[in-house]
Amino acid sequence: MNPTLQTYLDIPNFLILYFLLAVALSIFFYRASKLYGLLRLGGKEDRFDHIGKRIPLFLSNVIGQWCTLRSVSRKDLAGIGHFLMFWTFALFLVNYTYLFIWGAWHQISSLLELGNRFSSAFSFILEMLALLTIGAVIWALGRRYIARAERLKRGFEAAIILILILLLLTTHFLGEALRISAFRDPYGGAVSSAMAIAFDGMSEGAKQASYYIVWWLHIFILLGFLIYIPHSRHLHIIASLFNIFFRSTRPKGALTPIDIETAQNLGVEKIEEFSWKQLLDLYACAECGRCQVSCPAFLSGKPLSPQKLIEHLKTHLIETGNNRNKSTNALIGEIISEEEIWNCLTCYACQEVCPVANEHIEKINELRRNLVMVKNKIPETAERALRTIMMRGDPWTGTQHLRNDWTEGLSIKKLSEESRIDILYWVGCTGALDERNMKVTISFAQLMKKAGINFGILGAEESCCGDPARRMGQELLFQTLVQRNIENLKRYSVKRIVTFCPHCYNTLKNEYPQFGGEFEVIHHTELITHMLKSGRFKPNLPVDKRVAFHDPCYLGRYNDIYLPPRMILSFIPKLKFMELKRSKRESFCCGGGGGHVWLEENIGTRINIMRMQDVIEAEVGILTTACPFCLQMMEEGIKRKHLEGSVEPMDISELIQKTL
Amino acid sequence: MNLIVCVKQVPNPEIPPSKFRIDSEAKRTIPPEGIAPVINPYDERAVELALRLKEKHGGKIMVVTLGDDVSGNVVKHALSMGADDGVVLTDPAFEGSDSFGIAYILTRAIQKIGSYDLILCGRQAADWDEGLVGSIIAENLSLPLMTLVVAIERIDKELKMKRVTLEGHQIFTLPIPSVVTVSQEVGRPRLPSGWGIISATKKKLPVWNAKDIGADLSQIGAKGARKRVMKLFLPERERRCEMVQGETAVEAAIKLAEKLREAGTI
Repeated sequence: MNPTLQTYLDIPNFLILYFLLAVALSIFFYRASKLYGLLRLGGKEDRFDHIGKRIPLFLSNVIGQWCTLRSVSRKDLAGIGHFLMFWTFALFLVNYTYLFIWGAWHQISSLLELGNRFSSAFSFILEMLALLTIGAVIWALGRRYIARAERLKRGFEAAIILILILLLLTTHFLGEALRISAFRDPYGGAVSSAMAIAFDGMSEGAKQASYYIVWWLHIFILLGFLIYIPHSRHLHIIASLFNIFFRSTRPKGALTPIDIETAQNLGVEKIEEFSWKQLLDLYACAECGRCQVSCPAFLSGKPLSPQKLIEHLKTHLIETGNNRNKSTNALIGEIISEEEIWNCLTCYACQEVCPVANEHIEKINELRRNLVMVKNKIPETAERALRTIMMRGDPWTGTQHLRNDWTEGLSIKKLSEESRIDILYWVGCTGALDERNMKVTISFAQLMKKAGINFGILGAEESCCGDPARRMGQELLFQTLVQRNIENLKRYSVKRIVTFCPHCYNTLKNEYPQFGGEFEVIHHTELITHMLKSGRFKPNLPVDKRVAFHDPCYLGRYNDIYLPPRMILSFIPKLKFMELKRSKRESFCCGGGGGHVWLEENIGTRINIMRMQDVIEAEVGILTTACPFCLQMMEEGIKRKHLEGSVEPMDISELIQKTL
Repeated sequence: MNLIVCVKQVPNPEIPPSKFRIDSEAKRTIPPEGIAPVINPYDERAVELALRLKEKHGGKIMVVTLGDDVSGNVVKHALSMGADDGVVLTDPAFEGSDSFGIAYILTRAIQKIGSYDLILCGRQAADWDEGLVGSIIAENLSLPLMTLVVAIERIDKELKMKRVTLEGHQIFTLPIPSVVTVSQEVGRPRLPSGWGIISATKKKLPVWNAKDIGADLSQIGAKGARKRVMKLFLPERERRCEMVQGETAVEAAIKLAEKLREAGTI
């Protein structure tokens, strides 16, 4: 008997059900419309492009649950639990839709009771999932409150949702079992049918009465859920669906450009100056903590936590929305401190693990833009680097070198003298002006010469690619540099560029197209791999040592180049390759990203020293990398840890050159 | 307040000393390839001081430079820091002018601009370090002059100025208008702001030649110069390192003292 066909004080129960549903939905939509209104405060941004890319991404990440499954590891199985909860929830939603649209005023209220083949398959899957989910929820509670997993918060909000899910599922099973037993219904899920036997001893009246009570309890929990979701961080359940659909389809390493002709703001000073999509991110956050525990700034004891950044912005957005005419706290300085804004290394670790595709770096960069371009609040050392870029076209204040110094005696073609070349060797400021990295520049040039590659350099005409300026928030300086460089490159009809600096690589490859500079950009690890594979040279001398490779963020996470460096090392005889504890996607920043080569690191542990721990554990004799900043930071870390003599830092091209 | 700041384009002072080249025939410096000239750091501080005055008392800042066709960049730099307008003075006839000639050209330009309450110059230029132009402009305009200024405050119709000395500072008041030369103790000049860069990029700078400012050609250029460079050369600096050894620290110290005496340093 369908509980909704009963009457209470002569009122049919389904009317009461619809009344309650209407109340719950009104509260839900009232809140939803408010939240939507807050999004509308945000600026414009086109996220309806690339539909062809968005749909498959949505399907794999949401329907396929790749969003959390991809970060499942032996240490962190939460993704599996999430998969179960998502699908159980989805199937229940289908069942409730049936109930509210049709079932409530008919004999059969649930898809489980239909009795056809669809129904039996549906009931079986739903109940199996629900059973597993109960297990998952109990495990999740244990993991959160007993095992106290590092990344998870232990507040009230996390507990209540798990308990609600548990109650929802247990009342389902209990109710179904009572129904099957009370009405001797042959149709129902396998689990509840088995449970029904337990009630055999009860009187019919007691069974029916209990069924009605449990059924209504289940409905109350469900409607409570509906009201609770948009008022809590579990808003994530809804917002993340949209957030994943509207995720960025740009290359990972390309920040949003400012259109100088139309710009109203430079960066973001007030929360509503973020684009609507940046605000949607705030709703999508589930506070899972993955970003925080992979953030080198947070782990090294700096004030920044990517999770807190999102949380604080969200609270501030809602507060601002509620007090439209009153002044709220200042976004920069009070909600997010200047220190937090500068702490970010733009290493992409947070975004790489974020299951809902939030864009933390974009937000931090917008705030930096405001600090640098409007408020003129720049840490002194960063200001010096920016000033040098502005005045001289490179960030290396105080260098004793000029751009062409390294070419002395090497007869390197300069485009101003000989422009018929196959590939431009983009040396980069650090490669040209930093004593240590000049050796790498020479090494790679010699490798290319040995391989018979016809390359040339811009020499004195090369200037900073713009990456440090952009990452330090000076977008206008960045654009000036980009325009100047694109002009130069086009003047010499450059088509292909090779560089060993992943920062130059990323900017030339992913950001120059924003300004009409389309070039084929290759990283030196890719070119060396190609040279080795095609037999242009062969490493003959063995390296009888344990060797590790430190993945530079802008090469690995930003551009997914993980294989070439490992391939190169595999060509060297006798070399024993050791993977560092944190590598590839999970690689730990050297401490030099996002302009931090030029920033003081005054708070907490030094990040390069933390990275040294991984190097020590791997017990390697040679630590290779493929980035001039990483090389500087690793070298400094090795010195500070007194590892000189036992660990030798090298660019991968230097190691190859030694073996020829 | 209407402020005029005179700025000069100089070779980037951050060029590594070992890369510094000169043409001793032509008695000129040769800037290394790829390193653009910059605004004279002292003049940049004069712009900074003018901006601070403007922030406090309002007004307009006009920037004047004398140079070649790329000198506009140093004016643009000042504009992107927050100055309002600029003008570039360029003419083949200006080439080879000495400090008097340069000060005369600038004076004519300032007279053409007309209204001003204060004229600011850097204390000297980072290339030749003569430090004369500001003083001569004051003389040409018969205005009071204060050198080595680091702070200015307007009190009614007077300007209260802080001037640095070797061991401290002095406070003076000067009437409006007057001329000041600014010392580096003003502090770090601000980095151009975003909006500053945007508006400076869009601004077209007027270019004035000798005729525009009505310059008397006999006072300018190489012909008008009363001062000549006799010889330009790079001084040779030799550095040697010798380790002084000794059985004991005392012995080593005695040996070191002897060596230093031999070399005539003590």
